[in-house]
Amino acid sequence: MVGQRKFGLFDLLNTIAMALVACATIIPLVYIAAISLSDTASVTQGKVWLWPQGLNFKAYAQVLNDIKIPRAYLNTIMYTALGTFINVLMTCLAAYPLSQHEFVGRKYWMFLIVITMFLNPGIIPNYLIVKELGMIDTVWALVIPNAIWTFQLIILKSFFEGSSSSIREAAKVDGASDYRILFSIMLPLSKPALASIALFYFIGHWNSYFLPMIYLNTDTLYPLQVVLRSMLVFNEGSGSALVEAAALAPQAKKNATIVLAMIPVLMVYPFAQKYFAKGVMLGSEKG
Amino acid sequence: MPDTNIVSLPVKEKPTFKSKMARLGKRIVRDRQLLIIFLPGLLFYLLFRYGPLYGLIIAFKDYSVFRGIIDSPWVGFEYFEKFFNAPEFWQLFKNTFLLGFLTLVFSFPAPILLALLLNEVRISWFKKGVQTASYLPTFLSVVIISSMIIDFLSPTNGIVNKILNSLGFASKYFLIDPDWFRPIYIISEIWTNAGYESIVYLAAIAGISPTLYEAAKVDGASRLKMIFSVTLPSILPTVLIMLILKTGNMITIGYEKVLLLYNTMTYEVADVFSTFVYRKGLLANDYSYGAAVGLFEAFVAMALLLISNYASKRMGGNGLW
Repeated sequence: MVGQRKFGLFDLLNTIAMALVACATIIPLVYIAAISLSDTASVTQGKVWLWPQGLNFKAYAQVLNDIKIPRAYLNTIMYTALGTFINVLMTCLAAYPLSQHEFVGRKYWMFLIVITMFLNPGIIPNYLIVKELGMIDTVWALVIPNAIWTFQLIILKSFFEGSSSSIREAAKVDGASDYRILFSIMLPLSKPALASIALFYFIGHWNSYFLPMIYLNTDTLYPLQVVLRSMLVFNEGSGSALVEAAALAPQAKKNATIVLAMIPVLMVYPFAQKYFAKGVMLGSEKG
Repeated sequence: MPDTNIVSLPVKEKPTFKSKMARLGKRIVRDRQLLIIFLPGLLFYLLFRYGPLYGLIIAFKDYSVFRGIIDSPWVGFEYFEKFFNAPEFWQLFKNTFLLGFLTLVFSFPAPILLALLLNEVRISWFKKGVQTASYLPTFLSVVIISSMIIDFLSPTNGIVNKILNSLGFASKYFLIDPDWFRPIYIISEIWTNAGYESIVYLAAIAGISPTLYEAAKVDGASRLKMIFSVTLPSILPTVLIMLILKTGNMITIGYEKVLLLYNTMTYEVADVFSTFVYRKGLLANDYSYGAAVGLFEAFVAMALLLISNYASKRMGGNGLW
């Protein structure tokens, strides 16, 4: 629409501003990585900026030899894998019937589900339900109570709606059961949508610290984010906790842990990015 | 049912209770497979979304773990009164509203501005690159973001203090200074969310008809003029919807981040309803008190959402419903 204009003052200023925005998000991450790869002396003397000084991998070796961190990493991988699987399965099971216009009670079910987005009972009642069900200090507390995110359910339901009714009718005529239609026809057809919701669930599990912190009591069950948190805040409430933490946890080691915690997210990020706009738009349509 | 015996005319058939039930029964039999597929999801919602709502009655009871939810004695509004009379009440109230309000005021325009400026970028690889970078922080965990904040602001070797020192200022311990808590929280919120939230506005901008720009160009409008008289008015409905949503969520503070960034020195500005619920309810095991405070918070949040929705409709804008 505006093709032929020349690169003016406005463009120059705008380009600079946008470059600053990009730098503001990237530079902190580069800085973290640079510290994790630098030697202790350079870090304490504050010589490190955006390039590692005295390049070495000692901090990573420390992390790998730590008693807690490798185990926490494995825990996180396990919780994320199991949790994402349960999330995607449960979301599919709920979304498919709701995507069928004929489904008995569809309007009522949808109302029942959507209204929960506005009703937030708070931390304590959620905790008590988990406790009453005997899930405290088990992996189930992390993967069952949030098995379906309503927002993702609505996105998948809309996706199913886009392709389903004629397919289902045709398959029904051929004598296929709904189980078969869902697992052998709908799901293979919905791979992009499934990938999208799986990525959001994946990142949600990988980054979660609050729920594991309140639901788990045993050290050996802690996921990475909880261990990382304990490297930040030593004991809650004491004003000098941050000073102690800063002195006790060697910066390079902490930053190496952060880098390792970020890697999986950075790896799925390019794939996730493709689906952002779609997800956000669907969400805002449904408001 | 009085009219079951009346033979109804074929044109004006009024479904009786019986015939409705029969039809419902038929539909249930017809949809039995769908119902079986739906069952796990339904159970999930009843147990984990409606279950906690039922659990909220402990806010009106003196809950003890041994007696359970049902057998704990009723105490009415005792815990609410306790909260309203608590010395912390007004401080929590003020902190929650002020932090929520200031975050809204400062962080709401950021994604709009970003989207407007991004839209003016002509070089498409550069535009894509900036977008890719700016969405990234949303996907980092709160712990990592808080850790970076603590590191960068560290008085011993944080990068911010290094810069201050090189400019000749003394090091400052930002995280124990109550004056700095709100700015730190708000800036980090903008850093985390502005890029991702700009997607909605970019999509709205993409939907603007090119003829509007062509007409403006024929009239000799400058770039800035076009932003203010074409782009901005066109995305205004989206902006309004987002504003209602954000106002409704205003007091839902990101307590996960506050819990990581606050300390006793900054409680006076940083302690909000939800962090108080966490400390009283879970750390001190006073479940009923925690639930009561949580219920009060949810009540205020709901009222805010309804008010902002009403206000938007009154002003001639769109509402959420």
